[in-house]
Amino acid sequence: MRKVAIIGAGPSGCFTAQGLLKARPDWQVDVYDSLPVPYGLVRYGVAADHQGTKGIARQFERVFERQGARFFGNVTLGREVTLEQMRAAYDAVVLATGLAGDRVPELVDDGATPEGMIGAGALTRALYDHPDAGDLPDIGGHVVILGNGNVSVDLLRLLAKSESELEGSDLSPRATKWLTSRRIDSLTIVGRSAAELAKFDPVMIRELAKLQAVTIRVADLPEGEMTDAGQEKLLSALCEIDGLSTGPLPITFRFNMPLQSIETKDGKVTGLVAGRDGAESEHLPCNALVTAIGFCCDGRLGRDAVMSGAEDAEAGRIAEGLYAAGWFRRGPRGTIPENRADSLALAAKIVGDLEATPETSRAGHDGLGLTCETVDHAGWQRLDAIEKAQAMAGRCRTKIPTRSDMLRLAQKIEELK
Amino acid sequence: MDITILYGTETGNAEMLAEDVQSALEDAGHEVLVENLSDVAPADLDVSRLHLVVCSTYGDGELPASAQPFGEAMKDAPDLSGLRFGIFGLGDSEYETFNMGSQQIEEMLVAAGAERIGERVTHDASGDDMAEDVALPWAEAVVEAVGADA
Ligand SMILES: Cc1cc2nc3c(=O)[nH]c(=O)nc-3n(C[C@H](O)[C@H](O)[C@H](O)COP(=O)(O)O)c2cc1C
Repeated sequence: MRKVAIIGAGPSGCFTAQGLLKARPDWQVDVYDSLPVPYGLVRYGVAADHQGTKGIARQFERVFERQGARFFGNVTLGREVTLEQMRAAYDAVVLATGLAGDRVPELVDDGATPEGMIGAGALTRALYDHPDAGDLPDIGGHVVILGNGNVSVDLLRLLAKSESELEGSDLSPRATKWLTSRRIDSLTIVGRSAAELAKFDPVMIRELAKLQAVTIRVADLPEGEMTDAGQEKLLSALCEIDGLSTGPLPITFRFNMPLQSIETKDGKVTGLVAGRDGAESEHLPCNALVTAIGFCCDGRLGRDAVMSGAEDAEAGRIAEGLYAAGWFRRGPRGTIPENRADSLALAAKIVGDLEATPETSRAGHDGLGLTCETVDHAGWQRLDAIEKAQAMAGRCRTKIPTRSDMLRLAQKIEELK
Repeated sequence: MDITILYGTETGNAEMLAEDVQSALEDAGHEVLVENLSDVAPADLDVSRLHLVVCSTYGDGELPASAQPFGEAMKDAPDLSGLRFGIFGLGDSEYETFNMGSQQIEEMLVAAGAERIGERVTHDASGDDMAEDVALPWAEAVVEAVGADA
């Protein structure tokens, strides 16, 4: 029996486990996460008002319930256990820890982030009750969202929604209050590329037409027809929402506006200057700036060095017995379907690689000698049941927001005799 | 009864459901094969078997990735007279194009002469039901309708 450890219980890690166990049901596949709870970005990244998309978690439940994978939550690689220990204990180790860092605009010196500026990842984690998230920031007034991808649209949509439009989500009372009590005067979404090259999913753009209290303007649209079908689809979606008016909150889309500088006063954001070289650059006043220009490694596991030294980065093979999946491997690109396909291909590769080498006896999880408290899948199921049972009115779930409560509540309460 | 379940999926939900339906029907004594639509050409369909199609919707009312080659091939479909099929769709009512993927497959098969057994039944990812709670009764009803016919 071969033993495989997957580091990171997000979608890429879970799909890798699924693929491995489908091909080799008798293998031992152990999935580790630094959080006490599994599913990563399905839980903390997929928008709170896109519950349908979170449905893939049901497949992952099966991986643990029926396919025999084991979950070990609250174990951080590099802290409770080293990569060397993992590699010694398992035939293969898969790094699937994602990319949790927010890319920051190049013109911001590290450490000098002005007040009023926040990365989309940090904001998303705070909104979705990630236990390691900071406080929700005090943003309001004229808000600019920098970046033309789906993460920007998710935040735009949530910030624009009124209380009743958040029904059915899993937003906490705290996040709901934060979202609906902001005084936002305007939302502007600013991207460097031309409209037709923006990375928005056209379906998500059209979804904005359902917002109930907004007035949308799409500026900087190109003239004429596009020859590329994908570009044409996006442009027609943008044209469709242009001029939509259901209420007072102004939403403006701007394109062709690379950021040139961020203006601050007394350490607070007051505006930005953006525009194409040569063309006149524009000054956009704002009170808050949300940057959604991509994700990067947050420094953990030395991802960039690990991947640049990989034997076959394209296939996810770093070295003998060491693999990479998902965003850790491919960078912060691709949605769930692409990452699923990648993970299933990686699982097939691991099976091939391992079976081409003679079997050695590995100690697996027991060989790690972990002394920290861990949460297993049954523990997660208890947390899941509590979160669903304690859901506030109009919510499908109310998450447990702290590690200490997660660890405490995951323990089985001994039945009273 | 000899049954083939065909699934079309983008993120794996339809595949999981197909396997659930397979185990339930096998438990009831049927001989069941499961195939991904990506591995099936319309000309390969065996009219002597009952076909159960489980297919999601993606993008903007489009077929999910694994069903797209089949959808392309159905533009030039062989005569499928005599083929009996039931169809189940996975979708999300948050999208205006709710379950149009399964609808497309249904229309293609019917246009090629196949006979639909029962109504197309759908699951809504934004609803409260578990997909298998809707799909298992659907599958049983289709199988029963065909059995009663035989
Ligand atoms: C990007 C995206 C687009 C979708 N588009 C549609 C759609 O147009 N109509 C629909 O009914 N469902 C749509 N869905 C919902 C899926 O069909 C639903 O989540 C289903 O369970 C997915 O099954 P699968 O994993 O087998 O592909 C969409 C989901 C996503 C994530």
